[in-house]
Amino acid sequence: MKGNVIKYERDNIDTDVIIPGQYLKVHDYAELALHAMEGLDPDFHSKVKEGDFILSGRNFGCGSSREHAPIALSHSGIKAVLALSFARIFYRNAVDGAFLLPIEIEEDTYSNISEGDELDIDIRINEIKNLTKNKTYKMKPFSEIIGKIIEAGGLFKYKPD
Amino acid sequence: MGKTLFEKIWDAHIVVEKENSPSLIYIDRHLVHEVTSPQAFDGLRMNNRSVRRPDLTIATMDHNVPTNNRTLPILDQTSAVQIQTLEKNCKDFGIQLFDINSPNQGIVHVIGPQLGITLPGSTIVCGDSHTSTHGAFGALAFGIGTSEVEHVLASQTLWLEKPKPFEIRVEGKRKNPHAVTAKDIILSIIKNIGTSGGNGTVIEYKGEGISDLSMEQRMTICNMSIEAGARAGLIAPDEKTFEYLRGRKYTPKNYESLVDYWRDNLKTDSDAKFEKNYTLHVDNIAPQVSWGTNPGMTCDVTESVPFPEDFSKGDQNQKKGAEKALEYMALKPGTPITEIKIDRVFIGSCTNARLEDLIEASKVVKGKKLSPHVRAMVVPGSQMVKKQAEELGLDKIFTDANFEWREAGCSMCLGMNPDILSPGERCASTSNRNFEGRQGTGGRTHLVSPVMAAAAAIEGHFVDVREMDLN
Repeated sequence: MKGNVIKYERDNIDTDVIIPGQYLKVHDYAELALHAMEGLDPDFHSKVKEGDFILSGRNFGCGSSREHAPIALSHSGIKAVLALSFARIFYRNAVDGAFLLPIEIEEDTYSNISEGDELDIDIRINEIKNLTKNKTYKMKPFSEIIGKIIEAGGLFKYKPD
Repeated sequence: MGKTLFEKIWDAHIVVEKENSPSLIYIDRHLVHEVTSPQAFDGLRMNNRSVRRPDLTIATMDHNVPTNNRTLPILDQTSAVQIQTLEKNCKDFGIQLFDINSPNQGIVHVIGPQLGITLPGSTIVCGDSHTSTHGAFGALAFGIGTSEVEHVLASQTLWLEKPKPFEIRVEGKRKNPHAVTAKDIILSIIKNIGTSGGNGTVIEYKGEGISDLSMEQRMTICNMSIEAGARAGLIAPDEKTFEYLRGRKYTPKNYESLVDYWRDNLKTDSDAKFEKNYTLHVDNIAPQVSWGTNPGMTCDVTESVPFPEDFSKGDQNQKKGAEKALEYMALKPGTPITEIKIDRVFIGSCTNARLEDLIEASKVVKGKKLSPHVRAMVVPGSQMVKKQAEELGLDKIFTDANFEWREAGCSMCLGMNPDILSPGERCASTSNRNFEGRQGTGGRTHLVSPVMAAAAAIEGHFVDVREMDLN
């Protein structure tokens, strides 16, 4: 999985800035995507490309339970969010609907990756290659439980062993 | 080794449990509202599924509904469609709905307890993060996303990872319990443990500072557990809990035998172990006011807006966050909180729109007038709260002081109905989130208790409500 990084150097990016409340009435996912990150970065829609990754600090996706948040990011082209930590409901929503991968990383990795860097992420070996900087980092592995839901392709495809 | 209350409720609801796999947990009550449910019902239709237990599923409309005159049509077409969609879905799938004209309509987390739907020891979910509110009754209650809403509708179960138990002790006695409220306790906790301090945990609140609180105050505490990042917040049920639920519309017929069981079983064993602990002493805490753009950015009303370098204690992301927050909030570090002027006041939301909240706020307002440059709204949490308040004459106290007295709903908590801030407007709000744009694009939110909001409405700026006579 290859893509470029859009970096937000802050903690606590909440679901209200990922997709502001007034758009929760929108059912068309393509239209939702037009407003992704609007509360924080009005230029997001013009700069995001299919396959990009978001990189951010702690507690990404805190706040409301709106599944519209990972949906809006996913339909904007975001394949993974790399963060120091995630709020729980966002994390499960991202995985349950197979919208995008929530990937936890260490502080050093976070500081080392810059805006625009090209990454190649391989979740089978928990490895992130920074093709721009020619560096390799480890991602925190998914818990076995979450790994199983991701592998199945979402909550409705998951079947117990 | 003994078990925590959370572990006891969890264990009693396991359908399937295997090591290193998610646990399948049975859900006793599913609350549904208009915003996070439409795609879930669409999913059921696409797969020819029915609702497994319509009798355990209750719906209302709260997020989108206008809070002005209910006899007028809903002007926002997309809201109207979402509301009609919920009506159709409930009809098609046989779900009890409290619609916009029902005397039981209201914010889902206000009506659940009021109707006796929320019960101790039960599991409760809703497609809304503030479902943690119901934990005040010793229920394991948490918010879920729309995929999980569909999963519960179809199966009455959820695949879950087991959270860790976190003990928060609230010790001591507040000196002035009318001025220093449950809202100030929970804001103090979040200020201290941080907005991700509870991540991956279920908090159990204990101690004298909790048992002293009424049920409505306990709901304020559990409601904001999610703002500390916790999955849920819990308080062990006691005689106040049992009394609150006695004789309500949906209270079970065998209630007294249930109470006997709950009294004996719904408590943490003395030798149980928590993964985390934190203690707050409330003897000297002050009324709290948030200054930034998350609920952890909060200080005492007697303090000043902090300097980012002091707030961040050396953490670069925290410093940048505080700088960005101050820029958004248009506040200068060092400004005394009591010098911050406000434009709007919102008394409402699932955090603070219950009868006691309105009674306490009315004591501040009685016989006074709203500051001439402030617009203030009081939005009862449910139509039942509204009726009870009107029977006490609270509507008159507020309207005499030039406050607006409105119909029940989420209103200005979340900027998705007509009640919103204009860009740049500054609001003293009794709601739960001060995120950028939460109350409307460009709006600036300060989280406070109902009495602090009422006092700010009268004075036009924040004041230390301890200096007023509230008895």
